[in-house]
Amino acid sequence: MNRLSAFIVVVSQVLASIAVTYAAPMLEEDEELALAYGDKSFISIATGSQQSLRRAPSVATVVTAEDIKAIGATNLDEVLETVPGIHVSRTSIRYMPSYVIRGIFSGVSSPQVLLLQNGIPTTTMYSGDKGNAWLNVPLENIARIEIIRGPGSALFGADAYAGVINIMTKSAIDTPGTEFGIRAGSFNTQNAWVQHGGQWGDVEMAAYLNVGTTDGYKEIVQADAQTLKDKSSGVAPVSLAPGSVNTGNESIDASLNISYDKWRLRSTYKLRDRVGSGIGISSALDPTGYTRAEVVGGDISWNDPLFARDWSVGTIISMQHYSSLQPNNLQLYPAGSKFGSNVFPNGIIGGPNSWDQQIRLSGNATYSGFERHSLRLGMGYDNLDLYKSKTIKNNLLNANGAPTPDLAFNNGIAVDYTGRQPFITPHLRKVSYLYAQDEWSFARDWTLTAGVRHDRYSDFGNTTNPRLALVWDTTLNFTSKLLYGQAFRAPSFNEQYGINPVVNGNPNLKPESIQTVEAAFSWQARGDTLVNLSIFHYQMQDMIGLLPNPAPALGKTYNNIGKQYGNGLELDAAWDAGRNIKLTGNYSYQESIDETTKQDAGYAPHHHLYLRGDWRFVSGWLSSAQFNRIADRRRAAGDNRPRVPDYTTVDLSMGTIPDNNHWDFTVSVRNLLDATVLEPSLAPGTAIPNDLPMAPRAVWLQAVYKL
Amino acid sequence: MNIFSNPLRINSPVSLLAGVVLLLSVALPAGANSFETGLPPDYNVLSQENYINLINELIDDRDIAVIPIHIADSVVATATKNLNHKIAEAAVGTIAVIYPDIGEPYRSVFAQIIDGIESKAKGKIANYAIGPNSDITEINNALRRQDAKVVIALGQQGMKASSMLDSNIGVVVGGVLTAPANKLHDHQVNSLSPDPALLFSHLKGMMPKVRRVFTVYDPRQNTWLINLAKEAARAQGLELIAHEALDLRSAMQAYQTIFALSDSSQDALWLPQDSTAVEEGTALPMVLQESWRRNLAVFSSNFGHVRRGVLFSLYPNNVELGRYLAGSALFFLAEGENEQTGMLPLREVLMAINLRTAKHLGINTSRQQNFALAFPEK
Repeated sequence: MNRLSAFIVVVSQVLASIAVTYAAPMLEEDEELALAYGDKSFISIATGSQQSLRRAPSVATVVTAEDIKAIGATNLDEVLETVPGIHVSRTSIRYMPSYVIRGIFSGVSSPQVLLLQNGIPTTTMYSGDKGNAWLNVPLENIARIEIIRGPGSALFGADAYAGVINIMTKSAIDTPGTEFGIRAGSFNTQNAWVQHGGQWGDVEMAAYLNVGTTDGYKEIVQADAQTLKDKSSGVAPVSLAPGSVNTGNESIDASLNISYDKWRLRSTYKLRDRVGSGIGISSALDPTGYTRAEVVGGDISWNDPLFARDWSVGTIISMQHYSSLQPNNLQLYPAGSKFGSNVFPNGIIGGPNSWDQQIRLSGNATYSGFERHSLRLGMGYDNLDLYKSKTIKNNLLNANGAPTPDLAFNNGIAVDYTGRQPFITPHLRKVSYLYAQDEWSFARDWTLTAGVRHDRYSDFGNTTNPRLALVWDTTLNFTSKLLYGQAFRAPSFNEQYGINPVVNGNPNLKPESIQTVEAAFSWQARGDTLVNLSIFHYQMQDMIGLLPNPAPALGKTYNNIGKQYGNGLELDAAWDAGRNIKLTGNYSYQESIDETTKQDAGYAPHHHLYLRGDWRFVSGWLSSAQFNRIADRRRAAGDNRPRVPDYTTVDLSMGTIPDNNHWDFTVSVRNLLDATVLEPSLAPGTAIPNDLPMAPRAVWLQAVYKL
Repeated sequence: MNIFSNPLRINSPVSLLAGVVLLLSVALPAGANSFETGLPPDYNVLSQENYINLINELIDDRDIAVIPIHIADSVVATATKNLNHKIAEAAVGTIAVIYPDIGEPYRSVFAQIIDGIESKAKGKIANYAIGPNSDITEINNALRRQDAKVVIALGQQGMKASSMLDSNIGVVVGGVLTAPANKLHDHQVNSLSPDPALLFSHLKGMMPKVRRVFTVYDPRQNTWLINLAKEAARAQGLELIAHEALDLRSAMQAYQTIFALSDSSQDALWLPQDSTAVEEGTALPMVLQESWRRNLAVFSSNFGHVRRGVLFSLYPNNVELGRYLAGSALFFLAEGENEQTGMLPLREVLMAINLRTAKHLGINTSRQQNFALAFPEK
C-alpha cells in the first residue's frame, strides 16, 4: 500500500468515527456541567491552577496540557513546532533543538530565545543558551507553555529577544492523586514516570520523576568535515561517513513543588547522559563521544497580593547549578586525521567541561493607588558564575588554530590541558537591574502600557530597554494592539572569553539589540471561532559574528558586526466546529534580510503552515491529526547550494479520554508518510555538504495508570 | 474559596472581627431550615438571612479589608476546624461517594470534588463510579458490606442512582444544577448554581452605585433560584427585576425590554444558568453585543461566559465543595439525619473577572484582588 492510500484509509476510519459521534445523543451530565463551568474547551481552566505570568500586552500563544495530550506530543520540540512564528530546527552538534522565531536563526542552540521554567531563566553561561540538558524534554509534568513572540527585555531582561518561552509545571491541583506511566516506541525509546499531587492540611505538594532512554534515529550522513579533509590530504580516507548520526540519550527529569500560604518552594533536576554528538562537535561523525549535562535548580518565592492598601509585593530567590561534561571525551576528528604534515593516529580528541552556578534574587511590587493606573516596579540581582572549567585533549592548537601533536606534554593521549591551553577560564558576571511599568487606562477602551528596564552588567556595561503597548478594545469581539519593544541578547561567555586561536572570544563585545514594531488583532468571530493576526517588523544591530583578525594574525574573533531586518505576519485561528471537533491552524510568513549582503539572512522558512484537527469520540477516544509544512528556506549569502528542500509531515495520534477506568492508552505516529525532513547545515565552508537528516516515521505507545 | 462562603453553611454564624480577619465558629441545631419566610420549605433561607447581615456588616465596616481567596481558605479552614473534628469523631460507619463515570474534561471536576471529600473525611470514604449500565444491586451490596450510612451522590447519574439505594442510607447530593421535587424533601441537594447573594455582593463591590438587577429565566428551571435571588437582592438594597421566558423568542423580547428600560449607571444584568433564557447561540451574543454598546454591566453564573465578555462570574471551587459535602455527610453520620434538606445554592465559589470588560465599563479593578482568574490574558 502506498503512502497516500494508507493515509486515505486512516482518514476514512476517523471520519467514520465522527459520524458515530454525531449520532450519539447529548449527555445530560455534560449539559448541566457546561452551564456551570462553560464548554469543554474551557473547563480545564476552571479546574486548573495556572494563570498567565505575562504582565504586559504581547503577541502570545498558550499551549495547555490538554493540547499536548491531544496531539500526542512527547517532547517540548514537538509542541513548539505547532506555535505560529516558530520553527524548531536542529544544530549539527548534538542535534540540539534550535528555536527559530520569526526568521531569527542563529545556527546554534537559540541564544536569541529566552527559555524560562516557572518564570526562571534556564540560560547557561558558556553558550548563553539553554545548554545541553534541554533535549527531549518530556511533557507529562507541564501544565502549560506560554510563548511570547517579540521582544520582552523590558520585563525579562537578557535574551528575551526573538521570543520568550515559559514552561509552567504542574502544581498539586493539576495532578491530583498518583499517576504512573510508561511509553515505548521507535528508535528503542522508552520512558517511565510517576507523578503525585496531594495536600496535607494547608501544604500542597506535587512531585514528578521521569526516566527515559533512546537510541535515537540513525539517519545516514553521506559526507562530513573529514570527508572534505580526506579529499585534500591525498592520503587514504579516514572519514566515518557515510555513517549514521548519533542522537541517543538517557534522561532523568524530576521536580518537587511545595506551597504553603504565601510561600512556594520549587526544585528541579534534569540529567541528560550519553547525549549523542549529532554529526560531531567539529562536523565529523563521532560515534563514541557523548555529553553528560546536569541541571539542579530550586527557588523559594513569597507573594502577598495584599501587602498593604494598593500594594501587592513578591520576592523570589533562585539557584541553578549546571554542568556539561564529556566523560568519554569527544572525537573531534577520527583516527588517522591529518593536519598539515601531522597525522594523529588517535584522531583529534577534546573534552571541554564546564560548571556554572547562578543565583538570582528579585523583588517586585504593584501599586494601584492612582486612579486608572497600575504601576509595577521591580529590581533584582543575578550572580552568574562559570566557576570551573576543565580541558582534556590530545593536542595543542598553534597560532593558526591547527592542532599539533604536543607529544612532550601529552604522550599521544588525551590529558588535562586546563593549565596549559584551556578552552575557557572561569568568569563571573554580576547583573543588577531595575524596571518600571505603568498601565494607564487613559480613555474608555484605550490602554497604554509603558515600561523600561535598566540592566547593569559587570562585564559589558549597561543597557536600557523600553516597551510600549497601545491596546484598543475596538468592540466586544475585536481587540487591536500596537506594540513597540527593544530587547538585547547578552554575549555568551564563549563569545566573550573563549580561548581558541581560530575562534577567539572578545571581552569587548556589546550585547546584540533588536527593535520590533508589531500590530496585532484578535477577533472572536463567533462564540466558537477565534482569529488572531499579527504583523511585525524588526531591526537587529550589533549581531555577534566572527570577523577575521587583522593581518598578519590568523584566525577569527567574535565581533559586533551584523545587521538584519525582517518583516512578516502570523495568522492563527481556532474553531470549535462541534461538540466533539476542534480545528486549529496557523500560517506564518517572514522575510529576513542581512543588511551587509542585502540577501536573505538564510535558513529560516519563509512559509510555515500548520493545521490540526481534534476529534473526541463518545466511545471514550480522542484522536488528532496534524499537518505541518515548512517551505522556502533559502541559503545565506555565500552558500550557493540550492534551497533547503521543503517538506510536509503528517502526524496522527489516538488515545483514550481519561475516565474512571484508571488506565489510559495513547498510540501515535509521527511523520506518518515518512517524508524526508532536512534541516540546514550551515555555510560557509559547508563542512557538512548536505543538510541534516531528521527522524523518519516513528510510532509509540503509551499507557498511564492513575490511582 | 471566598471568605464569604464556607461559614455561611452553618446556620448560626458568629463573626469574630479581629482587625482584618473574620472567623466564624458555631454550634448549630440540625435541620433548622423551617424559618418563617413565606417561602416553600425547600429553600434554605435562614443561613441566607444571616449571611446577608454579615455582608452588610462587612460593607459598613471600614476595618474590613477584602481578603483574597487563597488567604480566606486558611482562615475559614481554621474557623471550622474544631466543629468538624467534633463531628468527625462522633461519626460511626462510612461514607460512600457515587459519581458519574464520565470522561475528561468534566472528569476533573468530580476528581477535585472527591479530593475535597477525601481530605475532609479521611479513612471513611469508598468511591463508586456510576455509568448508564451500572448494576445498582451490586452497588447496594457493596454499600452494605462497607457499612455505608450515608452516600454523597455526585452529578445527575449519581443522584439518579441514589434514588435506588436502600432507604436507610442517607443521601447528600452535589454536582447538579437542579433536582426533581421528590429529592428535595428528604435530601440535601447542593446545587452548582452560585448563591445569588454572593453574586450580588460581588456586583456591589465593583459597582457600589448599582440599584437594579435584571434577569431573564425559565420558570421551569430556575424558580427556586429566582425566589432566593429576590430575597438576597432585597437584603442588599437591590431590586431584582426578573422576566420569565419559556422559549427563546420570549427571552429575546425580555432582553429588548430590559435594554429599553436599563440605565447603565445603576443597572446590571444577571445571566443565570438557564438553557432557555441564556441560549448560547443567539441570545447570548445579542445580549453581550448590546450590553457592550450600552455599557451595561452583565454578570453570570456560568464560568464560560467570562471569556465571552461578561464582567464576572462565580464558579465552583470544587475542592472546597467536596469538603463541604463531606462535612454534611459526617454530620449525618453523627446525627443520623441531614443537617439541612432541600435545594442549597453554591457558596464554595471562586470569581473570574473580565478585566477588558471592566475597563470598558469604567470599573476600577486595580483594588479587586479577590478573583481567582482574570480574562482575557494579555
